[in-house]
This record gives sequence, C-alpha cells and structure tokens, in this order.
Amino acid sequence: MADKRTVALDLATPGMDAEGRPIRVPIGVAEGPGPEPDFSSERLLLNVGPQHPATHGVLRLVVELDGEVVTRVVPHIGYLHSGFEKLGEYRHYNQIIPLTDRTDYLAPMANNVALAMAAEQLMGIEVTERCQVLRVIACELSRIISHLVWLGTTAVDIGAFTPFLWTFQEREKVYDLQEAWTGARLTTSVARVGGMMADLPDGFEPKLREFCQAFPGVLDEVDRLLTRNGIWIARLQGIGIMTGEEAINYGLSGPMLRASGVPYDVRKDRPYLDYETYDFEVPIGEHGDVYDRYLVRMEEMRQSVRILEQALDRLPDGALNVDDPRVILPPKSTAMSDMEAMIFHFKQVMEGVPAPVGEVYTAIENGKGELGYYFVSDGTAKPVRWRIRPPSFLNIAALPKMAEGHLFADLIAINASVDIVMGEIDR
Amino acid sequence: MAIRVVVVKRPEREISYLRAALKGMAMTFRHLLQKKFTMQYPEQRSTDDWSLSPRWRGTHRMLTDEQGRAKCVACGLCPQICPANCIKLVPGEDEVGHRYPLIYEIDEFRCVFCGYCQEVCPEEAIHVGVHYENAEYERERFVYDLERLCAQTHPVSTLWDPSDPKGE
Ligand code: SF4
Ligand code: SF4
Repeated sequence: MADKRTVALDLATPGMDAEGRPIRVPIGVAEGPGPEPDFSSERLLLNVGPQHPATHGVLRLVVELDGEVVTRVVPHIGYLHSGFEKLGEYRHYNQIIPLTDRTDYLAPMANNVALAMAAEQLMGIEVTERCQVLRVIACELSRIISHLVWLGTTAVDIGAFTPFLWTFQEREKVYDLQEAWTGARLTTSVARVGGMMADLPDGFEPKLREFCQAFPGVLDEVDRLLTRNGIWIARLQGIGIMTGEEAINYGLSGPMLRASGVPYDVRKDRPYLDYETYDFEVPIGEHGDVYDRYLVRMEEMRQSVRILEQALDRLPDGALNVDDPRVILPPKSTAMSDMEAMIFHFKQVMEGVPAPVGEVYTAIENGKGELGYYFVSDGTAKPVRWRIRPPSFLNIAALPKMAEGHLFADLIAINASVDIVMGEIDR
Repeated sequence: MAIRVVVVKRPEREISYLRAALKGMAMTFRHLLQKKFTMQYPEQRSTDDWSLSPRWRGTHRMLTDEQGRAKCVACGLCPQICPANCIKLVPGEDEVGHRYPLIYEIDEFRCVFCGYCQEVCPEEAIHVGVHYENAEYERERFVYDLERLCAQTHPVSTLWDPSDPKGE
C-alpha cells in the first residue's frame, strides 16, 4: 500500500469565494488556470443545452461567439452519469449485460455482444458457430438503427424533417425484430457469456429478409431527398474538416475516422465473429468534412444489409450455447428434473462464473466507432475493474477542434455529425 | 469473400434547392397515398403486422399451484441474480418443512425488466409477463407484494419456458 495521503477538499460552494461573492469561473477545464475570458469585449457566451434537442442528449456546450462566429466551444459532460463502471464491479459478468443496454442505448444489442465477447475472452470460451452468426446479425442490426437515428436527427438539425420520420419508421421495424427476439424493444440484454439469451423465434428470418429487401429502398429515398440537394450540400460540405492525421491524433474511430480517409475498421483490421469471411466494403471519405461523414454512414448501412443477408444465408443449425454447465444455465426442463443440472444451476446463480486472474480488452466496431470493454479479474466471478472505451466520448473531444472558426449554425451540424450518445459518454 | 475499402464519391452536380424542394414534396405526397404505418393507440392495440411479442418482458406475475398458493419455494435465486436488487424475499417454513415466501415483493420501479428472475427460477414461479400498462398514481403502489403478483392474469413471457424451446 502506498503511504497515506492527505487530500485537501474544497467544500465551498463552487463559484463563490470565502465571503460568498461570485468569482469568475473559467469556462473550460481544458485550459486549466489560464487567462480568463474577457467578458467586457464584444464576445458573447452562450449555453447550448444541456436540455436542447440539437445537442442530442444532455450535452452542454459553452460557446463563445464573436458575432456569428464560434471562437471557442467547450463541451461539458456528466449530466447523465450513472456509474455503470462502478456498478459493474458489484455484479457477475452476466449481470452486467443489462447495464450495457443502457450505455449506448441506440445500439443495445451490439453492446451486449461486446460485453459477452470480453468476458468470454477472459474465460477462454469459444462460442458456437450459430452463436457467432446470430451475434453478427445483432451487431449489424444495431449499426443500422444507430445510423438511422443519426441520419434522422441530423436531418432535423439541418432543417429537413421528412427523413426523420422515414428513418424512425425503419427503426421501428428493427425494434419489432428485437422485440420478437428478445422480448424488449430497447433493453435487449440479448447476449450471455457463452451464448445468447434465446434463439431466434419462429418467423424471424423471413421478417429480417423482408426488412433487408425493403430497407435499401428507404435509403434510396432519403438519398434522393438529400445527397444532391443544394441546401444539404451547402450546409455540409467543407464544414468541420478533420484531416486523416488529425483524426488519428484525436483518437477518433468509426465513421468519423473513416470519413477522414483512414481505412480503419475493427471488423477489417482485427476481425472478430468471423467478419473476415463476409463480403463487404468499408467506405472511406476523401475530405473529412460533415458531408463525407454523411456519405460514409449511408454506405455503411447498405453494407450492413449485405452482411445481414450473408449471415442469413449461412446461418448454421446446431447448438447455440457452449456445452459447458459451468457457464451456461441448463435449459429449464432439465434444471427442474435432473439433480445434477439443478446443482449446476444453483451454483452458477449463487456464485457466478469465476474468471481466471488477468485482464482483457475486447473491441468491436459499433455504429459510432470502436467500442471496447476492458476487464480486470482477480479470479472471482465479479470484475475488479470494468472500463468502457466509448467511441462517442473520444469523438466529442474533437468537437472544439472542428467547430472553432465556423458559424454558430454550423456548430450544430458539426455536433450532429459526431453522432454522440450521452449514455456511453457519461457512463 | 473479402473486405474491400472503397472511397465514397461525391455527386458531381448538385440540384438547385428549388428543384430539390419540389422533388422532395412530390416524394412526400406519394407517401401520403401509401399504407399507413401508425397505430391509433390506445384505441387500437395491435395491427396486422404487429402485436406484442409473446416473449415480451413486462409486469411480473407469480404463478400459483392448484391450491392457489404461490409456487415459490423461497430458494433465494431471484433476489440473488436480480441486477437491480429489487426483489425482497423473506423465507418461511411451514409445519411439514415446506419453504415458502413470508414476504415476497418486487419493486417494479427499480426493476429493469431483464427477466433474469424468470430465467433462474427453478420452480417456474416468478415470471415476467406480456403486459406493459402499469402506471400508478403513487410510488408505493409500484411495490408489488405476493398477493398482487399472484393476482395478475396476463400471459407470461415464453422466454425460458419449456413451451418455446427456442427461448432456451
Ligand atoms: S426482471 Fe430483472 S430487474 Fe426485474 S425483478 Fe426480475 S431480475 Fe430483477
Ligand atoms: S427463484 Fe423462484 S422459487 Fe426461488 S425465490 Fe425466486 S420466485 Fe421463489
């Protein structure tokens, strides 16, 4: 143990000095104690959010404006902090899965899968082939709904309302599929360590095929409305540019990184779930502006449909869960009749599934970027530390870089293009 | 079979906002004539293409045996697994040594409807149900006691139920 440390706590009301007079608070933490903004100048300080539809969640942006031009912008986060990582330390690996529904709640199934994959890597479990294909389906459906929300809300921010209704309608269809499969529309909890919560219900595959057929049509319609539209182009092209090098230095990932021309996709570069055996394209942009991010995401949705179709074609029969009574609960009928299965059932629920000592980092390509889960295990059934690498958190950090110098209205477009979800930023 | 990288191309020509607006309007009006997607809830609760999934994880229900007693044997698995810590169980034992729950309460407010309680219950006693309209006027009413859980009549989720082998 390290030596005892004494920490001086400042218990005074923030923003007040000892006599209770308001003190000047620097608007950003990034700068540290630096020169304070000159409030007497012509600059205007503006709060956007935390309750504002254009900030896509409870994000607060403190913006310094010189006329219409953004001179500084400081994102303030933490309004949706739920302590997921800490809660996870008191739960068995399987019990963490409902928490992951709520981090990136726009793509819950992919989050569930990522967590199960991390725990499996820690425990050295190989999942079955059918399970892998089902997980690919889960991940790609998640990517589609995540991008759909992004597309709809971004269009609203720019001033086009119709695509919002169409994309959300498609999203409802995916939710219907999720509901049929998992029994919940949003809080899916679909994965389990070593398998899945449940197999696909009857009638799921034809419905998914139907969706795969109809969905590109809707994308085409949105495409016809927006892609060549003069207003759309004028609002998005040349805005919020990140070069490839800057994007890498800021730690961006996902469509944000690829729009800047860096062909990095976890599915391609560190394949998981047998992604290397699927046939699809990774779209990248050339200019790194908001418009390229739009094009990249549109193309990714099309590619996701291709992957879904291939997954449906290859969906193998066979066992869904690994055949290991230590990690997978026995089916209900056996658990109630067979004494041995019953003992395993009780042992597993009461004690959880212990993981060997060690640490793992597992990343998947989520809709918003590289989603990573990091576990440290001390050999018990609960992690000592669970850390999420949320793509939105790193992507939003580049917002000041992208927005400063642009008009205020462009800030909204740039913020929309980052595609954040506060659940995973604040965790 | 391969993963390829492609550069997305920008359109070469843009169309003027006036034409784009007219085109968009024409497209939107065409949608007006298509099949309606919305549903008039609460008058209408299901449509031809959608009704609540039989796997729905909603308001809990405790199943009872022939004598109307709760099937629960107070084994303690569900309060142990519940990730939201919302099940309160105090076990009791009758004269012949049968365990039963003295107190069994679920706080539907804390509950996250993960369904783990049903997944682990060895007696098929506690279930999540195909039901969602459980609003109340008071907070206290959200804590369902054993009596209320047993009195629920909605169908139970087919997840983790031998009747739906695919649901495990
Ligand atoms: S559904 Fe989940 S959160 Fe609700 S009581 Fe059951 S185990 Fe607890
Ligand atoms: S798991 Fe089932 S039997 Fe055990 S305490 Fe819960 S409801 Fe009762």
